Amino acid sequence: MKVHIKHWHAIAQWRWDIGKNDDDDDGEGDVCGICRVPFEGCCPSCKMPGDDCPLIWGECTHVFHMHCLLQWIGTAASKQQCPMDRRPWVTAERKVDAGNPR
Amino acid sequence: MATDSLRIYTSAKWQKAFERLNGAEPGIQGLLSFSEAWQIASNFLYPRDINDPGSLKSQDMQRVRAAFDLVGKSRMLSMLLDKFLEDMRRQQYLVERDVHRYMAEYESAGKAEAIMQLIFRLVAWYNAWKPINELGPTILSAYTLAFQTHIFSIFPPSFSRGFKQLIASTFDLVSASSPPPWAIPRDLPPTEQPPRPDYMLWMSCETLGLLERYESLISSVCYEHIEAHVHETCAKKWDEPMLPKLRDWMTEKIVPWMIMPYARGARSADEARAMLQGVGSRFDYHVCKTLCDLRIQEIFDIIIDYPDSQSALQDLKVASSRPGLDDINVIVDRVRRRLQECLQRVDQRSQLVITLRKANKKRLLHPGADTKVILAQYVSIIRCLRIIDPPGVLLYKVADPIRKYLRGRADTIRCIVASLVGDGESGDSLVDENEPIQPLQQMQADDYTDPNWEPEPIDAGPDFRTNKPSDVISTLVSIYDSKDLFVKELQVLLTQRLLAVKDGNYERERRNIEILKIRFGEAALQVCEVMLRDMTDSRRIDQHVQAQKPMPLHPTIISKHFWPPLQTNSFTMPGQFREIQESYAREYHLFKPDKKLHWLSHLGTIKLEIELQDRTISEEVPPLEASIVELFSQKDTWTVDQLVTEFKSVEKTAILKALTTWVDLGVLKEEESDRYKLLEVAEAVPSRSKAPARSAPVVEETTHTLSAQQQQAEQMKVFWKFIEGMLTNLGTLPLARIQAMLKFAPGYDRTIEQLAEFMEAARREGLVQVKDGMWKLCR
Repeated sequence: MKVHIKHWHAIAQWRWDIGKNDDDDDGEGDVCGICRVPFEGCCPSCKMPGDDCPLIWGECTHVFHMHCLLQWIGTAASKQQCPMDRRPWVTAERKVDAGNPR
Repeated sequence: MATDSLRIYTSAKWQKAFERLNGAEPGIQGLLSFSEAWQIASNFLYPRDINDPGSLKSQDMQRVRAAFDLVGKSRMLSMLLDKFLEDMRRQQYLVERDVHRYMAEYESAGKAEAIMQLIFRLVAWYNAWKPINELGPTILSAYTLAFQTHIFSIFPPSFSRGFKQLIASTFDLVSASSPPPWAIPRDLPPTEQPPRPDYMLWMSCETLGLLERYESLISSVCYEHIEAHVHETCAKKWDEPMLPKLRDWMTEKIVPWMIMPYARGARSADEARAMLQGVGSRFDYHVCKTLCDLRIQEIFDIIIDYPDSQSALQDLKVASSRPGLDDINVIVDRVRRRLQECLQRVDQRSQLVITLRKANKKRLLHPGADTKVILAQYVSIIRCLRIIDPPGVLLYKVADPIRKYLRGRADTIRCIVASLVGDGESGDSLVDENEPIQPLQQMQADDYTDPNWEPEPIDAGPDFRTNKPSDVISTLVSIYDSKDLFVKELQVLLTQRLLAVKDGNYERERRNIEILKIRFGEAALQVCEVMLRDMTDSRRIDQHVQAQKPMPLHPTIISKHFWPPLQTNSFTMPGQFREIQESYAREYHLFKPDKKLHWLSHLGTIKLEIELQDRTISEEVPPLEASIVELFSQKDTWTVDQLVTEFKSVEKTAILKALTTWVDLGVLKEEESDRYKLLEVAEAVPSRSKAPARSAPVVEETTHTLSAQQQQAEQMKVFWKFIEGMLTNLGTLPLARIQAMLKFAPGYDRTIEQLAEFMEAARREGLVQVKDGMWKLCR
């Protein structure tokens, strides 16, 4: 017997690739350390999640909603530090591992 | 012991009396002629038996007149009258005999004709005994009064019944071309024609004073006539306004009739109109009231028939609020009418409310009625009562029980939401397409600076809310205190529809969302907006991926937090499915480097073509079915237990169901219990005969999403962990304390009542026990 797929209407969720490979379904997912909203949600000033409200990676491995972090960096009190570990914030270069996401 | 003065006084009196009778005649000449005149006069007046032709008067009128003159001159007329009345009293038995005769005839036959004959006969008696007109009005009226008193006293009780019957027959009489023989007296000369068929009847009644005495009876006959007509013509006729027709009928039939009993004496049309005005407005009022009562009795069915029954509602509105003839403009009348109108309004309106509430309770608000039906009827009630009573007092009173009832129904929200988005299947949605879409209206306080402000209607209850006529949806949504529930349910519904869409045409959904945005506000529907964007994004991404690498897989990629919780029993697809998924995910990752895909493998549908040795089968199936058939392509025989271990998280029942699908399609065969085998070659007889019998589509409307209720239950499971924890640590706790502590839990939004319900449910399951309001775990 041969099974041919003619058309497949599937449903998937997108997730940010934040480097962790835990594929647990029921995990609530990580939240942004600033606004406490899941990464896959959007920061308080946005309405649309995803590409309109992207994430930002620090070299300290901490991840935030970009808008959240930029707002934090913009305040004087931040002293340009990562809000989690108080190290100077350096945005990490995301190297896209093109061939193999997993 | 007569004193002198008394003697003198008496003789003077006697002298005076003698002189009065004797006049200026010498001797007792005057006295003699007076006595003769008295004789003639009293003889003339003496009431005779009209049945005895010999006794009829044949006096010389000349002499009689002279005699009356003389008696009058002697100022003895009052004495004569007394004697006459006395004679009459003695002769009464003659009349009485006739009355009894005719009444007996009436009672045996029951026909109003007998009463008519009786009346004519009495008129004949009356005329026969009537003194001549020269005696002046005093004597005539004294006679009439005495005669009438007498006949009234001898009428048996059945007379009023008969008279009523007679009056009722006059309605037909007035339009008859010529009077029937019973309606004219026998002795009427044939040359003399009465001006109207019922003329003689009314005139006779008038003569006998029956009209005054039975005035209320006559009007009640007319009332009954009106009622009968209204019921006959208007019952169950709601498609045209009846009130104008009834008014026409009044002018054509009742007004001509009314002229005789109420405006006989009128000399001109104007005079007649003035005389008819009072009674006319009473009758008109009665028409309105009867129609009103009738419509109120029918109101439930009228509402069901809406909008075909719109005319009936207009009638009801006009009839219940504006009784009275239109042409009345006399101030006094207007004031009275106002008063009447108010009274009318108040008692009819409450009648309407009571009747409708009763009908609703009996016919609508019971478990047998579909929620959709109740909602539709509620909407009709809203529309109908708004026609009758724009301020909405009636509606408020009637709607209250319905709203309470709807609040208690589990599927009310779903029904409302389904109709909001125009659920195709029901055909007619609750929302009128023509109604302008407005934002939901909030309750607003009275604006007293508004020059058009009007006080609440007088019959508004204390808790009446002055909501301006708002649209139907606002009213429906306001059944619940918050609109969040609606938005949640809407999301669920939208999810179902979006995930079911295959051809990528979301225009309908988009339009619905736009409409609902106007109603619920932009912010509330933000989530739905994201859902729609996910749909379009998915298509864009898919186009890109397909361009890179054509694949049969076309996923809908959703943003997890913006969709209602989906069922979570996902599984890993086997074989080529997994490969396709992975390769698609790779392409996706190339396209969107910082994102990856997480498949919800149990959702969606797959169109398969299964190539067997002797046949190919094309079928659209859910993913689980597809996975199973894929497994069979690796190995011919599987047991259920093997399959269960293969799909770890899938329930056995689901697997069995999927297997049955393939068995029905003749692809698999259950060899022995729980052991299935692939049929490379079709097994001719049994499966073939089975196959066409199965008509149900393989792809069912699987609900992907948990309903709002299930979601709540799901959440409550989490909170139960909290409750269990605190009861373990602290022993016993009162409900209020539990509630207070749960408030600290994230996302807890239940009221204490809901918590109480939940705890009660837990108690029934034997998880907890309660004593004196303290809750404690069962161990």
